[in-house]
Amino acid sequence: MIDIIKNQSNYLLVDVNLQEANMANASTFRSEIIKMLDLHHKKIILSLHQVNYIDSTFLGALVAALKHAISLKLDIALVGLKKDIHDLMTLIRLDKVFKIYDNFNDATKED
Amino acid sequence: MTDQEVQKKILLVDDNPLFLKMLSKAFDKAGFECTVAESANEAIRKLAIDLPDAILSDYQMPKMNGIEFRKYILKQPTLKDIPFIFLTDFSDKELVNTGLDLHAIDYVIKDTPVNVIVAKLNNLLATVSKQRELSELEVKKAAAALNIRSVPQKAPAIAGYEVNFWHKSFQDIPGGDFIDFIKVTDRFSFVILGDVMGKKWMAWFLSFSFLSYIRAAVRFGVSSHEYSAAGILEKVNQIICEDEVLKDILSSLSLLMIDHEENNITYAGAGDLPLLHYQAKTKKFESLKCSGLLLGLFANGLYDEQKIIMQPGDQLFMFTDGIIDYAVSGETKSDYNLFIKRLETITDSRNSFEKLKQFLIKQPPSSQVDDASIIHIYKTA
Repeated sequence: MIDIIKNQSNYLLVDVNLQEANMANASTFRSEIIKMLDLHHKKIILSLHQVNYIDSTFLGALVAALKHAISLKLDIALVGLKKDIHDLMTLIRLDKVFKIYDNFNDATKED
Repeated sequence: MTDQEVQKKILLVDDNPLFLKMLSKAFDKAGFECTVAESANEAIRKLAIDLPDAILSDYQMPKMNGIEFRKYILKQPTLKDIPFIFLTDFSDKELVNTGLDLHAIDYVIKDTPVNVIVAKLNNLLATVSKQRELSELEVKKAAAALNIRSVPQKAPAIAGYEVNFWHKSFQDIPGGDFIDFIKVTDRFSFVILGDVMGKKWMAWFLSFSFLSYIRAAVRFGVSSHEYSAAGILEKVNQIICEDEVLKDILSSLSLLMIDHEENNITYAGAGDLPLLHYQAKTKKFESLKCSGLLLGLFANGLYDEQKIIMQPGDQLFMFTDGIIDYAVSGETKSDYNLFIKRLETITDSRNSFEKLKQFLIKQPPSSQVDDASIIHIYKTA
């Protein structure tokens, strides 16, 4: 479901291989990403370019993963959001919770 | 949505591509949506993307065999309850005994005619579905006996306003949306609309914890003369963040405090969709946004509020994400602006709730992807 595309000293670029991120895959996603944070202890840049739709259960899993990252003094940034998903995250103010970048280069600029 | 309308999904796992092709063709013909995998590892990758209604797996496969695959499935909370059938080349008593320990529901000898395999699976899914319905019925009966509801039976009469709501749970199973109306004093009434992130029973149970805290905070707030919707949200959020049971559970909330003395409404929101205010004078919609984050996100979260002055004929729409989510041609979308456009065609200076309700009822059940709730408030005088 999630693959490490790039493993750098200070971040992991991780691809989400889902078109529909929903209740059916939220729980697995959450445990996989938490396992990844615990194992690598690095900031994760999560690429959502394949994802066309996110439901509230999956958003909950995404936020739970971020809270886990924060507890480890790490972070999860998002890139490659489709317009609908970006709009939804802005509407419910999750754009204030996650760092969202247009592309991978912008996301790694400060690293 | 009824079972007849939903195409059942099946995952077929076998290292023999020819057999897989034949089986897949038969299941396709019988109306199933088939996913095939030529190894257990490929099946595991496919299960991470989509969940089938049943898994039909070969026993003898290279690398990870059927028993190991079944053991893996049983360790995954999201997969362990999917009906699982073993396909075998022979009637192996040892396998049957091992398989029974692994809660495999049935065995099918590969020589069995394909139409019999399809019929067997159809019967199995019908039994599982019936069993599930009976369990849900038991929970529904228990909830009814305890008289617990996360959505009231009817909207209250609130002086100066006509209040209505429409709610439809996803696949007719109660979920995370909750609605409440509280008249605390002659001066203050509160309108509550929330959505616990998650679906079905788990979200439904959790919604009561959220509702209890919100009801308590509303009453304590007014009894201590703290007339602030944002203040109430701050208190609720703090308690939720400290509650071990609700750890990592998030909820959106739109809270309206109607002040009958001052003739205004105060709105505070937590990660909710912006409210829509239809102004009869200009015949235009205004989107009302708050900056508060989802309840349960950060204990030190700050919430703001805004005053809404409604004139006669004005209408207020507050709704959960299920109202703006929809499925079309196999794709699911969220579109807040599209919903506004639809509302623009429905709303005029008369109470537009009935038209809105008719519009929502007419949506095909297959397009619904989440619990959907909307509260409509019409200012009368």
